Amino acid sequence: MAEEPLVFEGKRVLGVVPGVPPVGDRKIPEEQESVMVWPHLLVRHAVAALAVLLIVLLVAIFFDAPLREIANPAVTPNPEKAPWYFAGLQELLSHYHPLVAGILVPGAVILGAMALPYLDRNPDRHGKTRRVAVATFTIFLVAWIVLTIIGFAFRGPDWGWVWPWIDWYGEL
Amino acid sequence: MANGIVDKVKEQATSIWGKVHGSQVAESILRPGSPFKKGYSDTPRNRSYVIMNNVLYHLHPVKVKRHGVRLSYTLCLGGISFFLFILLTITGIFLMFYYAPTAEAAYVDVEALSTSVAFGSLVRNMHRWGAHLMVLSVFLHMSRVFYHGAYKPPREFNWVVGVILLLLTLLLSFTGYLLPWDQLALWAVTVGTNMAGFVPVFGDQVKFALLGSVEVTGDTILRWYVLHVLAFPFIIVIFMAVHFWRVRKDGGISGPL
Ligand code: HEM
Repeated sequence: MAEEPLVFEGKRVLGVVPGVPPVGDRKIPEEQESVMVWPHLLVRHAVAALAVLLIVLLVAIFFDAPLREIANPAVTPNPEKAPWYFAGLQELLSHYHPLVAGILVPGAVILGAMALPYLDRNPDRHGKTRRVAVATFTIFLVAWIVLTIIGFAFRGPDWGWVWPWIDWYGEL
Repeated sequence: MANGIVDKVKEQATSIWGKVHGSQVAESILRPGSPFKKGYSDTPRNRSYVIMNNVLYHLHPVKVKRHGVRLSYTLCLGGISFFLFILLTITGIFLMFYYAPTAEAAYVDVEALSTSVAFGSLVRNMHRWGAHLMVLSVFLHMSRVFYHGAYKPPREFNWVVGVILLLLTLLLSFTGYLLPWDQLALWAVTVGTNMAGFVPVFGDQVKFALLGSVEVTGDTILRWYVLHVLAFPFIIVIFMAVHFWRVRKDGGISGPL
């Protein structure tokens, strides 16, 4: 594997030495061992990117993006639906005053999320010792998912309850 | 006969390639160690140079911890969010060629995408579903980071940057939702911006600033269009740059559990 010396900015650059050091064994736990980014990481990037591209392409080929009638301020659709990622908020809005559901709760959630790393003083990363943190986050997550699913699929005219397998009002 | 032509073409191609490959121009573009360079050999030194001598060095170190490349740890969710963002940028630029942000043109232009623009509906569909997927993948990425406790020191600040990225992703999605100017768009945005009217004290002002008017009109389209195609992408790219830089400076992907 003889190669011509490489000169960079007037200096000879030494190669990276492969393999084990000249004396002694290297004792590195397997997980901490490092691997070359090229090819190992870049190849994974490429495969992941292609897989995502394929999925988006397939969805785009088989499902058309919605386009309703032209916007008309005189005709209010019933129900009026926000896109799915705000459906949870909209569901909340149907139960509480807009100041609470639209401003205070989302504001507190955002600020709380930003403050989380400074509030959680436990340095341990293992699930077993993180019961409080994991429980709190999971409660928020599940509550939000449930609200989103209800707002997205289980609400119909006048924000009344519907069964999505009977009447579908979800909007994407 | 056909074979003869194929051979001739092959010969020509090889000879042209021979001249290009290794020419001064090619050599000046490709830095030492590039796999596209003439005479590249797969050696550990060249593998390092692929990153180190390359614009990629801004993003990746030469080596990473083995577990950091494990799909089962990150599930690639941050990277997938980023890739979707790139895909949305590309498809979005295509859509901009055919779209004018006015109350008169917007709806007609979007409609025309599926009737008179080659690949128009495919690209619109990719942009729409890609955007939904990005919101989803960013949420999943955040959950993955939480359950790994990867926001703990020294990564606290990168979590904060992440929350800002999540907000920007939602804002990008929502500003785009108005642009087709159909009933779905108008009323979803009406619901959303009515909420802003309840901001204490400055509610009406905030709502007016968002809408460029007292209700959702053509002025709102222009405003949200500029935010959607210029302002928010610009801001999110800056925060992404900080985010990726911090992943590296905080010691790479957090260790295995
Ligand atoms: C546009 C949105 C986002 C993009 C493109 C993005 C991208 C990335 C990428 C590529 C990584 C490397 C590891 C991985 O893929 O998991 C990463 C790590 C990280 N992200 Fe994000 N991210 C985004 C949003 C967020 C959000 C919403 C949060 C949290 C609120 C967050 C917090 C973090 C943290 C703390 C790390 C370090 C994780 C570790 O070391 O294990 N990011 N991000």
